[in-house]
Amino acid sequence: MNLITVAMFAGILLISLGITAWAARRTRTTVDFYAAGKGLTAAQNGFALAGDWCSAAAFLGFTGLTALYGMDGALYAVGPLVAFCTVLLLIAEPLRNTGTYTIGDVIMYRMRQPPALAAAIVGTIVINLAYLIPQMAGAGVLIKLLFGFRYDVSVMLVGLGMIVYVAAGGMLATSWVQIIKAVLMLGAGAVVLFLALAGVGFDPLVFFASAEAKAGPNFLLPGNLLKNPFDEVSLGLGYMLGLAGLPHVMTRFYTVPDATTARRSVIWVMFLAGAFFACTTIFGVAAVHYLGPEALRVGNPGGNLTLPLLAQYLGGGKDTVGGQLILGFVSAVAVATILAVVAGLTLATSGAVANDLYVNLFRKGKVEEHQQVVVARITAVLVGVVATLLGILAEGVNVAVLVILAICIAASANFPVLVLSLFWRRFNTGGVVGGMALGLISSVGLALIGPAYLGSNAIWPLVNPTVVALPLGILGAVLGSLLAGRDHEHEKRFGEVTFRIQTGVRSSRS
Amino acid sequence: MGDAVKLSGAQVAPDAWIEGVESAEFKTLIDAKQRSIMPMIVIYMVGYMSLSILAGFGRGILGTKVLGAVNLGFVLIAGNYIMSWVLAVVYARISANRHDPLVKVVVDKAHATGGAR
Repeated sequence: MNLITVAMFAGILLISLGITAWAARRTRTTVDFYAAGKGLTAAQNGFALAGDWCSAAAFLGFTGLTALYGMDGALYAVGPLVAFCTVLLLIAEPLRNTGTYTIGDVIMYRMRQPPALAAAIVGTIVINLAYLIPQMAGAGVLIKLLFGFRYDVSVMLVGLGMIVYVAAGGMLATSWVQIIKAVLMLGAGAVVLFLALAGVGFDPLVFFASAEAKAGPNFLLPGNLLKNPFDEVSLGLGYMLGLAGLPHVMTRFYTVPDATTARRSVIWVMFLAGAFFACTTIFGVAAVHYLGPEALRVGNPGGNLTLPLLAQYLGGGKDTVGGQLILGFVSAVAVATILAVVAGLTLATSGAVANDLYVNLFRKGKVEEHQQVVVARITAVLVGVVATLLGILAEGVNVAVLVILAICIAASANFPVLVLSLFWRRFNTGGVVGGMALGLISSVGLALIGPAYLGSNAIWPLVNPTVVALPLGILGAVLGSLLAGRDHEHEKRFGEVTFRIQTGVRSSRS
Repeated sequence: MGDAVKLSGAQVAPDAWIEGVESAEFKTLIDAKQRSIMPMIVIYMVGYMSLSILAGFGRGILGTKVLGAVNLGFVLIAGNYIMSWVLAVVYARISANRHDPLVKVVVDKAHATGGAR
């Protein structure tokens, strides 16, 4: 156990709990609980978005993938930035103008029929659980490694932390935990980048030449990780459109006062997270340069320990104070990252269960305000407990398939439904149900018979089925709309919907 | 529609508000937005998907050395970073300078006619 890591992590945890206590006193209404009172600034929401979007998979994963597989790792890192172009140009402002707390709100505002809302709820819950379980499992492994606790104890500790953040402090606490984590993560990144570049006279080209010399002539080519060419295309499509369908990131746009601020917060995250993603590529090739490819393959599953190992080396090495200090810092930030991301996911899932399912679908909106807050808090605890149990059960199970699945469903089911709801006059409840069903079934079905789950026994060749599931999702949405028949009242209302999407002004003659 | 449900926090009336939607000002806003957003969508989708497709089917092309050990693939990856950042700044400027004033005109008129709050 590294005492410096423990001390730093304890420090981060204490600050987070202090924030939660502060936020809990300010969280009285549903707007406070789900949307931080809609009072965040563009910069604050931009940092929080960076916190949400730079999960441990990004922070540790992209660096490791680049170090082990060369260009494929860099391709993994650039997609998440391009994904924000879709969010910026198509989604952020319309979402802020039409919804209140959840993606389900937007679908319900447009369709006003329970089956459409039900489909949106299923999409949100499946995506969030697929995203949550690997995060919980990853947190269990990391904490076990760092502190020496048992796996199930480690997962329970993470679960307890996230339940406290979310149930007590709602979106306000979750946002500030994300902001602090983002600042620490960017700070750690800047330190590692500076030290890495200082070793080569600030010429990153040295890393590429050295990495190619040490890891072989194919290292800088694509295809080392994703052998099947269609998997590269799936990766691109999944990222480009999937982010805009991820509920825990999209609900962030409800925390700002208006569409203009939502837009400015996207600009913030594009520079903050984008710069960080670019750095992971540099870190990856720098790790090969400094540590050599053989050292990176030992006891480093999936390459996830590459960044901590690089940080330790740059700090002076294994047995130096500098090496221990920087390793401790990077590890503590990694744990804080997981904790913050699972908190965001728990909150978004609670929104789908408490606000969409209970309040809007079961009770048709007829729930007192103070009761809604109580229901939301209880739901957060329940979702947290379920996620913790699933995380414990996931020990030893191949959960890699779930990460791919989350992005694939987001791109193939949620994204078409969301975009068509906002921009297609003829889109209707039949389309929502058709798109969600076909997108979901094809994503889950193909991922489960593919190599990510079945390994070498796979029936289907692609790890990531987005390249097939996305067209099927769109097809389901279009066919569902056409088969449901025309509803002229519904289509006439589209003008009003467009007006609200563009201006945020609601009609009020009722 | 049968089972219309009231959304939490939002008042919605299906027949409200036709004047605002059909006003010339609103049409100007939609046209201005489409004219600037559509080309940007085409640029980033083509830019990024060409990189992804080449990564799958043009591995030799991406391996062409450009700058020392750095090959065309890494140059295009860097290009995608720059493309995204440039689009972000350009879109932020266009929407602040052109779209937001048009939105304000439409919203002010809507409030003046009493059709919305």
